[in-house]
Amino acid sequence: MPESLLRAVGIHKSFAGVHALKGVDLTIMPGEIHCLAGENGCGKSTLIKIISGVYQPDAGVLEFNGKSLQKITPIDAILLGIQVIYQDFSVFPNLTVMENLALNSELSEKHKLVSWKRMRSIAQDAVTRINFDIDLDSIVGTLSVAQKQMVAISRALMFNARLIIMDEPTTALTRREVDALFRVILQLKAQGISILFVSHKLNEVFEISERFTIFRNGELVRTGQTSELDSAKFTYYMTGREFSEQKFIPGEIGKEPLLEVRNLTMRGAFEDVSFALRAGEIVGVTGLLDSGRSELALALFGIRKADSGAILVKGKGAAIRSPRDAVRHKIGLVPEDRLTEGLFLPQSIADNLIIAEIDRLAGRAGVFDREKRAREIERLVKEFAIATPDPQNAGQTLSGGNQQRVVLAKWLACNLDVLVLNGPTVGVDIGSKHDIHGILRDLARQGMGILIISDDLPEVIENCSRVLVLKAGKIVTEMDADHADEQRILAHMM
Amino acid sequence: MKRTLSLVLCALLLVSLLGTSLAEKKDWEIVVVPKDASNPWFVHMKTGVDEYAQKHGVNAYQKGTAEIDATLQAQLIADLIAQGVDAICVVPVNPESLEPVLKQAMDAGIVVIAHEGATLTNVHYDIEAFSNEQYGAFIMDNLAEAMGEEGLYTTMVAHVTNASHNEWADGGVAHQKAVYPKMTLLEAEPRVESEDNGDVAYNKAKELFKKYPDLKGIMGTSSYDAPGIARAIEELGLVGKVFTSGTGLPLANKAILESGIVKSLTLWDSALAGQAMVSLALKVLNGEEITAPVDLGVDGYMALTFKPGSDKVLEGQGWVVINKENVDSFGF
Amino acid sequence: MNKGLKKLTKRNEPYIFLVVLALALLIQFRSGQFFTGNNLVDIASAMVVPGLFAVGTFMVILSGGIDVSFPALASLTSYATTKMLLDAGYTGGIWLPILISLSLGAALGAFNGYFIGFLGLPALIVTLGTSSVFKGVMQGALNSVQLATIPPGMQAFGTSSLFVASNPLSGLTSRMPVAFLVFASVLLVSFLILRYTFLGRGIYAIGGNEVSAHRAGFNTRRTKFLLYVFVGMMASLAGLIRTCMMQQNHPTNMLGMEMNIIAGVVLGGTAITGGTGSLTGCMLGTLLIVIVENSMILIGIPTIWKSVFVGALIIIGTGVSAWQVFRANRVAKVRFFRKEVPTI
Repeated sequence: MPESLLRAVGIHKSFAGVHALKGVDLTIMPGEIHCLAGENGCGKSTLIKIISGVYQPDAGVLEFNGKSLQKITPIDAILLGIQVIYQDFSVFPNLTVMENLALNSELSEKHKLVSWKRMRSIAQDAVTRINFDIDLDSIVGTLSVAQKQMVAISRALMFNARLIIMDEPTTALTRREVDALFRVILQLKAQGISILFVSHKLNEVFEISERFTIFRNGELVRTGQTSELDSAKFTYYMTGREFSEQKFIPGEIGKEPLLEVRNLTMRGAFEDVSFALRAGEIVGVTGLLDSGRSELALALFGIRKADSGAILVKGKGAAIRSPRDAVRHKIGLVPEDRLTEGLFLPQSIADNLIIAEIDRLAGRAGVFDREKRAREIERLVKEFAIATPDPQNAGQTLSGGNQQRVVLAKWLACNLDVLVLNGPTVGVDIGSKHDIHGILRDLARQGMGILIISDDLPEVIENCSRVLVLKAGKIVTEMDADHADEQRILAHMM
Repeated sequence: MKRTLSLVLCALLLVSLLGTSLAEKKDWEIVVVPKDASNPWFVHMKTGVDEYAQKHGVNAYQKGTAEIDATLQAQLIADLIAQGVDAICVVPVNPESLEPVLKQAMDAGIVVIAHEGATLTNVHYDIEAFSNEQYGAFIMDNLAEAMGEEGLYTTMVAHVTNASHNEWADGGVAHQKAVYPKMTLLEAEPRVESEDNGDVAYNKAKELFKKYPDLKGIMGTSSYDAPGIARAIEELGLVGKVFTSGTGLPLANKAILESGIVKSLTLWDSALAGQAMVSLALKVLNGEEITAPVDLGVDGYMALTFKPGSDKVLEGQGWVVINKENVDSFGF
Repeated sequence: MNKGLKKLTKRNEPYIFLVVLALALLIQFRSGQFFTGNNLVDIASAMVVPGLFAVGTFMVILSGGIDVSFPALASLTSYATTKMLLDAGYTGGIWLPILISLSLGAALGAFNGYFIGFLGLPALIVTLGTSSVFKGVMQGALNSVQLATIPPGMQAFGTSSLFVASNPLSGLTSRMPVAFLVFASVLLVSFLILRYTFLGRGIYAIGGNEVSAHRAGFNTRRTKFLLYVFVGMMASLAGLIRTCMMQQNHPTNMLGMEMNIIAGVVLGGTAITGGTGSLTGCMLGTLLIVIVENSMILIGIPTIWKSVFVGALIIIGTGVSAWQVFRANRVAKVRFFRKEVPTI
């Protein structure tokens, strides 16, 4: 049996009484792509921080390359060849690519003075290693998410990395960008570098990893060869629950469209888009990142203005020039990036829930009715099963799935006719994803019209009665759920 | 328990009130509020007040804010009202903004005496060391003498909202028009602000001399004006060509007076003004009738008369001139 | 448009420079006195104190912090230094006062730095607090009053000049103070620190993303601590120079300067959220404020309208840069949507 690169046995870690890791094990072989999966809060982030020296374990053994690690600092970990690529990439948005790449190595060599020439050559070497084509002088803040990730990966490679830990690296990437990332990962593997790939996306785990480890509630549930795994098992290990995967069967579908879009055009984003959405329907819109799908969502909600075409609500022309207009026509939007667009993170969960219906909660003379507010909050927390000890906690204390539920609940509190969701389950774990899909299906059966804009093809296929495919701003095809499968949709998208 | 305590407190209060009204001569608490506590001018005023308090056995003292700031001053006075002092003697930073709080003081039965606040309405009396017009004329005499009674001049005040500075400047201008026909006021820029800051006075003077090459004199009012202007005159190489005069403190201006950049400055004695305020406050507190000429027993304030048309503003004859001969004789 | 020029239009400095130039031309047109040797020297001399303050403020804002205590710090250190030397009857040169000032400034800056850097308290709250403490110490413990005279060495330094510019037409002369050299050296040192030391790059990094800076291996706490020490020293130096140039020490007349200084720094394109900005921009912004403050009479703005005009210029100046940033972002956003996936 070959010597393992990293071996963690019986790792315990508690924070202020919360037992985050209850004796977990993890073994990574040299040059292997290992997937660490688990729902939010399962302890995988804590383990990563222990491996990279940010936290010290309370108990357990940690070995790297045959050496036992006791009390390591982040710098020690880097020197050992352990690199973490965080979800936020830990880049400096205000600095150039060159500085982002070179700072770490310059600091670890304890240089006090800057040599711009040396920095440039370090940065140049770093990007050439993965054939990453970029202007070293561009400011990182202006790059795309995928490019920032490549900057982070290039940076990680400079320290003779033996193990690269990627924390949910595909969250904000398009399908094409994920493919590019996977190519880089395979390239790294070929160079003998081990990859710990943290993800909860089933298809990615299958596609890229050789072995997997799954945590749940701070415990090791299963570790083994990915080839032994199937979708049902994976989901079960992750959540401890069995989900029956079945396609959405709509209830009664209305005759007249709730929302109709005719020849809608926004220059540079989409053109001549027409479709109708009836009560009880869930319609999917899918396409690549640059297909104009996000702009379509924004146009339907009045954040950006279409140049021509018409939006009809219940058969009547509606001028939607602002989110206020959209809400007046009973259209809601769950935005793409719930963190920056859909939630007031530092505000309480309670306030986030009722923000959209704040007018209705006012008593006489526009004064806030406190009791009414409290009742409404209680109702929403219960109905949407938002897991929080206290609705007065800040929105940012919730996990991704629960945050998404708050965004949903916020809109549903206003009795909408039409709900537009842009990437409704991006960054949400499997359990919450199922719950959110369940909520959407219930809503549709109750007579709401739902438009899901997403590039998560299984999500679209499973939940929608019809799928529209956008390519370069135009609807290229429309298919019934019965006839839709991933291959066919992909063929139209690309 | 609480109830009893409050009853006792009420009783005490009542007794003390009765006690005060019965007492023939009580220990009145008189507070002098200057523009700020660090300006030597007001430090000198404090010396005067303390001296008077000791000499006459009065509970009078001076309390100033850290900076020259109208809002802070109003706050300080509000605190004094809450504290229940008997008289407040104030040198207002900005008379208008002080009116409301002074009204509160008067409503609370506190005697309010002002100095350099002739426009105030919510005061019992305002003491001016002199009539502002006459003092302005006095500065103008000094400036005119330096300028050889001819040439272009302008005026500088701390702020255009400052009451007495502007009255002095107006008085000076009026006096020039009446007495010095060869002098002319710079109509394009008749009044500039020094913001009670020597550095601003310096920069403004530099600008003025650059823009108006014919300008021959600047009449200063605030005690920061003339020293700042003098610095500009010296640096621009204009000594002996352009002149300034105005209020100034002896010690602070010893150098510019002795070197001849400035020929003379004018002043009144802040210590005496402080004493005059306290003395007048005592008279009012003791119920004496105030009829002109008022004798406060303080030099320069032996025969105050009411400003024409006013029954509040009393004016003395307290001005002095400082030049290189007498600059050392003041002790501040 | 070539690449270099294109890059320039995305920066803030050229726009502020144009605003300064426009103002200069306006003053020249109204008074004929802007582009004269002595006026330029006057402006340079008026720049020294605000310029020193601005350098410190710039670095703090760059790190994502803010400092509103520097006028109080400068007042306290310059007062304490002057008073101490007067009481001791000091008759020597300028070096000892500078040394005392710098040490006092470093100590008070360390006070700020300890709370902000090591205890991680919000910079605005800390410096508002220390500002009060500094004023209190000065007025309470030191019982400060205006000092009408200063030690002869300081007096000599305040009036000594590098050269004297004179205007051949009016015959007016203006001194370029030796203190300008101090200012220029501080500017140079700050530039070198920011550009060529990892302490300086650390300030940029912390302003961009403090967590990342920590992960990258910057000692963020120590960097912030040292930063506030440095700023304290700059402020105390400014305070001392001002005292020397005015030939007297007034303990309160620097108070309140923080707003104009911060306005100047932000005007120069420094992001108030930290991370972006350049020393050049910061100096241009400060220059604009200094010119505006000292040219109202030259332009011929009536005294009572001065505040309105100063305010309007600040808004226009900031507006120009804000508009510029907005435009740059909009371009970036459109580019983002249109962006092709990187080829690997």
